[in-house]
Amino acid sequence: MKSNHFLFLPGRQLGTLFGLVGLCLILWILSPYFLTLSNLLNIVEQSSVISIIAVGMTFVIITAGIDLSVGSILAFSGVIMASLLQMDLPLLVALSMGLVVGSLCGFLNGVLVSKGLLPPFIATLGMMSIARGAALLVTQGRPISGFSYSFRQLASGEILQIPIPVIIMLVVYISAHFLLTKTRFGRQVYAIGGSEEVSILSGVNVKKVKALVYALSGGLSGLAAIILTARLNSAQPIAGIMYELDAIAATVIGGTSLMGGEGTILGTLVGALIMGVLRNGLNLLNVSSFIQQIVIGSVIILAVLVDMTLKRRNS
Amino acid sequence: MNLRIYINIVILSILGFGVFGILGCQRQDSGRTNKTPVIALVMKTLNHPYFLDMRRGASEAAQNLNIQLIVQAAEREIDAEKQMQIIENLIQRRVSVLCISPSGSKEIVPVIIKANRARIPVLIVDTRVDAAVLQEASGYIEGFVGADNYKGGQLAGKYLADQLNGKGKVAILEGIPGHETGDSRLRGFYQIIQNYPGIQIVSSQTANWERAQGYSVFQNVLQAHPNVDALFSCSDMMALGAIEAIAESGKTGTIKVVGFDASLEARNVVEKGLMLATVAQFPFDMGKRVIENAVLILQGQRIDKDIEIPIQLVTKGELGYR
Repeated sequence: MKSNHFLFLPGRQLGTLFGLVGLCLILWILSPYFLTLSNLLNIVEQSSVISIIAVGMTFVIITAGIDLSVGSILAFSGVIMASLLQMDLPLLVALSMGLVVGSLCGFLNGVLVSKGLLPPFIATLGMMSIARGAALLVTQGRPISGFSYSFRQLASGEILQIPIPVIIMLVVYISAHFLLTKTRFGRQVYAIGGSEEVSILSGVNVKKVKALVYALSGGLSGLAAIILTARLNSAQPIAGIMYELDAIAATVIGGTSLMGGEGTILGTLVGALIMGVLRNGLNLLNVSSFIQQIVIGSVIILAVLVDMTLKRRNS
Repeated sequence: MNLRIYINIVILSILGFGVFGILGCQRQDSGRTNKTPVIALVMKTLNHPYFLDMRRGASEAAQNLNIQLIVQAAEREIDAEKQMQIIENLIQRRVSVLCISPSGSKEIVPVIIKANRARIPVLIVDTRVDAAVLQEASGYIEGFVGADNYKGGQLAGKYLADQLNGKGKVAILEGIPGHETGDSRLRGFYQIIQNYPGIQIVSSQTANWERAQGYSVFQNVLQAHPNVDALFSCSDMMALGAIEAIAESGKTGTIKVVGFDASLEARNVVEKGLMLATVAQFPFDMGKRVIENAVLILQGQRIDKDIEIPIQLVTKGELGYR
């Protein structure tokens, strides 16, 4: 089984994709407002924050790790970026600093996991609390709001009628797909998740790769923070609470195994969109938020259940 | 295509049809057209008695006026982005009027702009929008329906100062910093208290609207200032936590507690004498009035920009039920 994990996994991916298409068809029948171009763009735009975080999560989970700190890192790099913008620093400098802060937090996670040999759950649980506390400390608990027009355009602007968050998200997905499937780094990520011992024996620098994977996850949280901050025109220290769970959900619905060694970026995209479409559809149909949570939870369990059952049958 | 694809499709379709089929039956809107007007009320959360009261008021008004009402809210009160997503979805749903209780006074502005562009009138209820941010973004709202939290803070300050005979040590539990509601209550309270030179504020800290934090923060306050005479808490939830801390330290009855919101539990505690007073807002009336005004907008009538829902002090024997 393990040998073809580097390859495209058409069966699994198409299955989830058809699930998404099926869902859209059902919503199209049930709501006249669902299948319009503006609503579809709306869904993708709304999913952009979670789906960008989920890319980093996919890398981490493929190495058999987990990253619980993404929501807190998002908040922390968001408020750092916002403070710098308030000091009238140039846009690019402030945004880059936000990305650097996110990546550094993630890198620290990676060092704790690879050099400190902490279980990823523990290391990132600690970081989840540290980054949240730091965000609250920097802002004294207050949101930072009111940014320049050019910054806000990062969320409300459009190129050829496509919202900019959607474009950023597509660029992230295409690059990540390329990174994971076409580069040595990508193959090493899969190899570590498949078997860490074998990877070490075959000369993979496991510590370095792991540190980079967590740094990537942190950096993408920083990128998501840019979009979220621009969307709300405000950086909140309490932003992103529980986003880690949404990102993990998108990843596993998309077919990435928590045991590591398998998963695809395109699957994660479909997973994130399934969640976005579900939320949107349930809103359009005026279903209460309580029932929405039950539905989303059921979809997560069912998607993974189906996946596991089929794998067991195939092997 | 192989077998697993088919199985996936079949199972996910069954799931989808099942879920949406069942839920689809629940919804009240039947037609595929958007000709019948629909009013949407988007609140901060649905797991707080305050907002449930608001929903009851809104439903009653909608029923009386025979108008279709959609009520939605994010799972968590502070989740400004989820609230934004819900409103974006309702704009796509082309509702006729949007009534919003904002999760964040500033964070709500970008989505108000989106509603403006879609030409959907917006009414704000309960929590004010930050006027400066709204103006800067050239956003427009039809009006605001709610209580004056500043006056509520003043009411609490006046009552507490009288009860203390103008002198004593007072501690404050604040809400989440930057929330317009809590900030206004605090400003109103300070505005009155500053006229009493005998009253000293010994501590003013946030307990983030939470009961558990109200308990732990006030425990620390009691350690630092054992001879504190009174507490003003910007919400009942935090006050109830503090009252537990007071009971644990054996100081029940010696510290005068004034809360805010007049929740059912707080009213009971006031009646038992464990809390001196709480400021009542009437979310039921807010829900009712906001829907009534939304209907006026639909009929093309002018409405007041600022519709004030009265507040009232609740003390023992004076419970202010409506």
